[in-house]
Amino acid sequence: MKQHLGRQAGVQKVEVNLIDGKVDVTPKEDGQIDPAQLLKATYDSGVSTAEMDITARGRIIRNGSGGFALQVEPNQSFALAPNELSKTLEFLADTPAFVTVLGQLYKKPPGKKKPEPPTSLSLTIIEVQKKE
Amino acid sequence: MSVRNFALFVLLGSVMIGPAVEARVKHIEMRVEGMT
Repeated sequence: MKQHLGRQAGVQKVEVNLIDGKVDVTPKEDGQIDPAQLLKATYDSGVSTAEMDITARGRIIRNGSGGFALQVEPNQSFALAPNELSKTLEFLADTPAFVTVLGQLYKKPPGKKKPEPPTSLSLTIIEVQKKE
Repeated sequence: MSVRNFALFVLLGSVMIGPAVEARVKHIEMRVEGMT
């Protein structure tokens, strides 16, 4: 699995802890990483992902469906799942302000042993680390 | 263009481009199951 993940675009380093099943992925500073591709690569390597959390810095934007999203690249954004923390960021939508957040992008649905990787991801904010 | 105007141009450019470059995924952590 480490090799599968290490081959994905934008990945600089992968650290795997066999004891607790924790996988740390460090993105390249100048590259674009696609979390959905990492989930697929993990699935293809024969193991299933229980959870995926990301720390990301970006701008809050309004998306086409009336919701909000965190834009991390001009062509990459994550739809925000509405919660108390996401509501505290809505007023920053479409402003030049940047936020750094910790959020959950994926959690395995209960009852399924090895579900197919999801095609779309939404970000549930766990912690707002910085507003600037 | 005078040296002063050029310096101002560079300064404004870095202010506008800088934050956009820094927007990115900084870290990903996964918990996986079924690993041997």
